[in-house]
Amino acid sequence: MTSSKLAVFLNKHGHRHRLLTMDEVRADGEVAAQLSEAAKAELLELCEEQFAQLEKLQEEIIQCEPDSSEDPEDQLVKRLMATDAELKQWLSMKPSLLATNSDILLQAGKDEMLKLCSDLEMVVSCCEAKRDKLRETKELEQKWLEEKKQVVLTINDHIERLRVEMEKCSEHNIFLETKAKIQKVKAYQENLMENLGDILAMHAPLSQKESSASKNKKNFPLELNENHISLSEILEVLMDKVINTPHDPYVTVDDTFWPPYVEMLLRYGVAVRHQENNFKIRLETFF
Amino acid sequence: MSLLAPFNKLPTLNTASILLVESEEQFQQSLAVALVEEMTVTVNVRLARSLPLPLENDESRPRIDLVVFIINLTSDLSFRSAKASLKYLDPGYFLGKVCFMATNARHASVHTGLLDAVRQLAVSLHCPLLFAEDQTPEDVKSSARRLLTILKVASGLVPNTSALFLSNLTRCTMPLDIDQPSFD
Repeated sequence: MTSSKLAVFLNKHGHRHRLLTMDEVRADGEVAAQLSEAAKAELLELCEEQFAQLEKLQEEIIQCEPDSSEDPEDQLVKRLMATDAELKQWLSMKPSLLATNSDILLQAGKDEMLKLCSDLEMVVSCCEAKRDKLRETKELEQKWLEEKKQVVLTINDHIERLRVEMEKCSEHNIFLETKAKIQKVKAYQENLMENLGDILAMHAPLSQKESSASKNKKNFPLELNENHISLSEILEVLMDKVINTPHDPYVTVDDTFWPPYVEMLLRYGVAVRHQENNFKIRLETFF
Repeated sequence: MSLLAPFNKLPTLNTASILLVESEEQFQQSLAVALVEEMTVTVNVRLARSLPLPLENDESRPRIDLVVFIINLTSDLSFRSAKASLKYLDPGYFLGKVCFMATNARHASVHTGLLDAVRQLAVSLHCPLLFAEDQTPEDVKSSARRLLTILKVASGLVPNTSALFLSNLTRCTMPLDIDQPSFD
């Protein structure tokens, strides 16, 4: 675009604005129908004048040869030029009086004022609506905040209570539990022992009695019989040995063990003989 | 080749003319209906599938103040059609009287890269790029309102503003990292 064309183009632009302002004024004049005949005539004359100028500029634009260039660089330069020209135009533009007739000016001013007022009213109502909404939001948020704060407080309280409770209870509880367990196990063991004692008393009476009975019949040596211990005692010795010295559970069979009992224990798999030493036995590993 | 020029005709009083170019003619109609509801000025809406415009009704056609290219982001064809149509516009239009409107950007089947291509196009031509949806009447209405704002300026109906001035503020700009690789 040549600079002359640019100037024309921009002139037209500026011109168009003024023209439209005039048009508005004229339209208002028609609607209000308050302007005097003279003012109307003057306005019409002004419009005619402007339109004539517009037509002249239009002619000039059409006269200019169109230069179409696809190069984006070129277009960019043109754009810069156009913007620059427009800037200059704005800077050099002088405010001019719309018309000399005071009627027209009054009417235009009134109209502008009314328009401005309605615009400002709209701005005010918009701002008020926004403010109200913000206020509402603020109240809501504050309510939420309050609720959240209370929740935090309650939770903290709860945590504190739980912690205190736990501290107080934990040791005592464990202690009590363990105690109960121990007692249960003890009772169970007692029960087992009692049962065992009953069975032994019923089925394996003290060898002394038997031996004393057999003494008369079979004439066994007396001192042997006196040393013999009961089956329950043999078992006790075996068990004690296993528990106390697990690495060496063997017990030496001496003359206090009545041989039939030992034989019975070995035969029913309650006790096992040492592989190398015939005189040693141990309790079978039941566990 | 007949170029569509921005200043080859005289303007009409209190009138703004807009040309909607869309190859698929999906959004045009509803948008046009929403546009003519404007009361303060007479809005003249012209529809076209592509440019150049037919010569026979050239006489009856008003001066076009704003050309809007509607590009459907789910169709590659609409983009290519719009790009081809750009050749038939006078360079004077690119001083603030062209705007791109991308639709269906939220659609799932948007071609990857098409959005970038559209943006690239808008950047290279220094035109604003609007995003619009056409699913609900509210969407159409708000799109029309945005277009009207630009249209009023482009047709010189807003005092103390010009299309070039507005377009310098609203033109699409590309974030640097898309155009060039960053080095850090």
